[in-house]
Amino acid sequence: MVQYIVVGLVFGSIYALAASGLVVTYVSTGVLNFAFGAMAFFIARTYYALHTEHHWGIVPAAVVCLLVLAPALGLALYLTIFRYLRLASQLIKVVVTVGLSVVIPTVATMIYGNTQLFVIPGLAPVPVDTFDVFGVAVTLDQVIAYASVIVIVVAGALVLRFTEAGLSVRAMVDSEAMTSLSGSNPARIAAGVWIVSTMLAGLAGILAAPVIGLDAGKFTLLVAGAFAAVIAARLRNLTVAVVVALLLGVVGSLVQWALPPSSPVTANVIPAIPFVFVVVSLVVNILRSGRVDEEQGVGGALDRAITPNGGVRLAASTDVDTWFPRLDVGFPILVFAGIAVLPLVFSTYWQGILATGVALAIVFLSYTLVTGEGGMLWLCQITFAGVGALTTAQLATQHGWPVLAAVLVGGLVAAALGTLIGLLTIRLGNLYVALVTLTFGLLMERLVFALKPFAQSGAGLPVARPDFAVSDQAFVYLALGVFAILAVLMVNLRRSTTGLALDAVRWSETGARTMGISVVQMKLLVSGLAAFVAGVGGGLFALSHKQAVPVEYATLAGLVWLAILVTFGVRSNIAALLAGCVFALSPAFVQSTLKLNSTWAQVPVLLFGLGAIAVAKNPEGTVHQQARAFQRGLHHLLHRSGAPTGSGQ
Amino acid sequence: MSAAVATPVDGPVANDEPVLAATDVTVRFGGLTALDRVSIEVPPGTIVGLVGPNGAGKTTLFGVLSGLVRPDTGEVLLGGQRVTRATPAARARLGLARTFQQLELFLGLTVRQHVVLGVRVRTERRRLWSDLLTAGALHPESEAERSRVDHLLDLLGLTDVAHAPAATLPLGTARRVEVARALATSPRVVLLDEPSSGLDAGETARISDAFRTVVDEEGVSLLLVEHDVAMVLGLSSRVSVLDFGVRIAEGTPDEIRTDPAVRAAYLGDDGDTPGALQ
Repeated sequence: MVQYIVVGLVFGSIYALAASGLVVTYVSTGVLNFAFGAMAFFIARTYYALHTEHHWGIVPAAVVCLLVLAPALGLALYLTIFRYLRLASQLIKVVVTVGLSVVIPTVATMIYGNTQLFVIPGLAPVPVDTFDVFGVAVTLDQVIAYASVIVIVVAGALVLRFTEAGLSVRAMVDSEAMTSLSGSNPARIAAGVWIVSTMLAGLAGILAAPVIGLDAGKFTLLVAGAFAAVIAARLRNLTVAVVVALLLGVVGSLVQWALPPSSPVTANVIPAIPFVFVVVSLVVNILRSGRVDEEQGVGGALDRAITPNGGVRLAASTDVDTWFPRLDVGFPILVFAGIAVLPLVFSTYWQGILATGVALAIVFLSYTLVTGEGGMLWLCQITFAGVGALTTAQLATQHGWPVLAAVLVGGLVAAALGTLIGLLTIRLGNLYVALVTLTFGLLMERLVFALKPFAQSGAGLPVARPDFAVSDQAFVYLALGVFAILAVLMVNLRRSTTGLALDAVRWSETGARTMGISVVQMKLLVSGLAAFVAGVGGGLFALSHKQAVPVEYATLAGLVWLAILVTFGVRSNIAALLAGCVFALSPAFVQSTLKLNSTWAQVPVLLFGLGAIAVAKNPEGTVHQQARAFQRGLHHLLHRSGAPTGSGQ
Repeated sequence: MSAAVATPVDGPVANDEPVLAATDVTVRFGGLTALDRVSIEVPPGTIVGLVGPNGAGKTTLFGVLSGLVRPDTGEVLLGGQRVTRATPAARARLGLARTFQQLELFLGLTVRQHVVLGVRVRTERRRLWSDLLTAGALHPESEAERSRVDHLLDLLGLTDVAHAPAATLPLGTARRVEVARALATSPRVVLLDEPSSGLDAGETARISDAFRTVVDEEGVSLLLVEHDVAMVLGLSSRVSVLDFGVRIAEGTPDEIRTDPAVRAAYLGDDGDTPGALQ
């Protein structure tokens, strides 16, 4: 058992380093860094390249990675991205770091290639020395991990408590505005914090690589585990975060010790541990204060005064020009018609890909609903799509249901689940909702999607298309039809009383509540509807492949989906359609039409990630923004001699 | 609404049951007693003022009345019904509306949409849900709704900006939008939280006129929390004064002007009458 605790403490130490890095940047800059795992991966991969591939010594490789590359990366990211997030809403901050978590691993793949690595050394020389401590074997790698945490925690506490820089950081946590008025430079402090946090990411990454392998996805999962400690610390308390992180590691290890090693139960219980931590700490916090909100008790009156109202700029749409609506009707119809023509001109190969794209567009509509209309940042829409897909396959293939009825029921099952998650997160602030939905997605993926009846050892269940839409061409039209119906329903929603009330809730919950609107009902409505749309989309996505494969609905893939939709615009139905089609078609275009190698196939994903990052500057979405600019330009040309248009509102 | 016959603002207080009343409300935040057995009554069709120095407990009392703060002891009655534990939304449905000192407008909606939503929440609540199934976007606005909305916009001088998004409005106009939104729900009583804060003298006079008009025309009651003591004394028929969580005086504006305890609270001693109370 002691041996398990030793191993557990290593995991705990890595969690603790990650949690410290996350908490420090959150408290001092207000950004919870979803790209922390990606940053850790990048630095660890560079260490591997220098040390193993280029045969550098451990010390020079570690020094270059941790003392040169990490600070440079942190500073560069601060200067190019994080600096602009200072006054942004939580929604935008999350989307931008999610975009970054898509970009960094892609860049790493482009630089270092995509080969599977098996033996990854840590900071100890190989063969790794082993010590005998009271009969328990402890490796030098493990000792380094423990020592790192102790050094970081002690040094961090001393710096924060006794130095002027620490005082400035602590002051900025309470009120950035007052700190800047009292002579400190918040920009310099923030840059320093990002540098330190990136160094922590690097250290955590290099320590974790020998244990979990050099795989960007595994790094992000590791950080998702650390989120549990961050939530327990209510995002702000460094000590609690470190303690809970260590505990998380030890508990995980002890559970492994207590359960039979090869039982499927063990494999299922281990990934659930962080989720249990999340639920317990949220329940405790809600019982204590009635609500868990990242905004609680943060900042002074001055900070609030200079922060945009409600912060939901992502949802901002204050264009009042009367000329646009006509184009707003015309433009979507034009795009829709354009896509509807494609199956007639495409070869069978391209028709198949387009079918996937349109099905994906339906899933994207669920993001448009929940985030665009509801103003809620859910990171598990892909999980609802998965629920829809797996339900469809079960009912249609195993129970002989008509397939479209199965798709519909799949949507309803997802809706029920979505409403439940909505209910559970109703008292949480935006950031907590993002964290909880992410954890929920990971949990579903590993506990439910991995079950034998769904996974079928990875291949998934086959599912046949309806008789009238067997060909890819016919199926594209079926999917486009479903998309059109849902899009029209959404336009109706947006323009109806329901839409007004949703808008009201999004802009000011207090205002809405005091005029008699039930915020709970509105949020549950939009959660349920969005999950339904995702479920239906997921069912059709499975039909487009004729196979419901659970791994296609991995939560982390959902982050990429979110990134691409945000690039195109999260408030527009037609942006969802374009996003789905472009996302499906572009990798194939790069590979089969341009005949470029697989490195270049990464470029579209890179661009979508960059697009998501760009919402830091263009909250409406890059493509939407460009379309608007184009419309304005056209308008200007047509009305050059006319009166001012008032579009400068 | 039936009991709320229009009463002249400066006329005698109606003898009816108060539309809103709080009795013996106590609120403690840790060791601090923010409100200590405070009572207040708002009779139908009147303007009642609530004043007090900073930290007197005015905002806390407002929170208790609108349901955002739970009192430790005491009761809140709305139209004779006990609502001490009711949610803000439930109170709104019983006829309580409020405005906010820190504006809580729906910045993406136009001025008119604010009012339309308020009217529908009150008169066609079902449409919050049924619109989804009945293509509500295509429903033409009913004549009754249109005239009610236009009337309210006109009443508060918002007709010219009806189609402007709330985000683009200057503060004085935005405060009137909050009042219009509150009135759109056809309330029995409206709580106004520092409505003149941040306004210049002209805008203050204008919003005061609007308050007088709505009480006369709509028959609602207003409970007015204000720093601007002169404005409160000029508008209200009854005034309560809070200091350090205790109600130190209650009476007509004239009684308040001459009350020694009030003068002490505002001056820190019982010296000359402060300008605001003259």
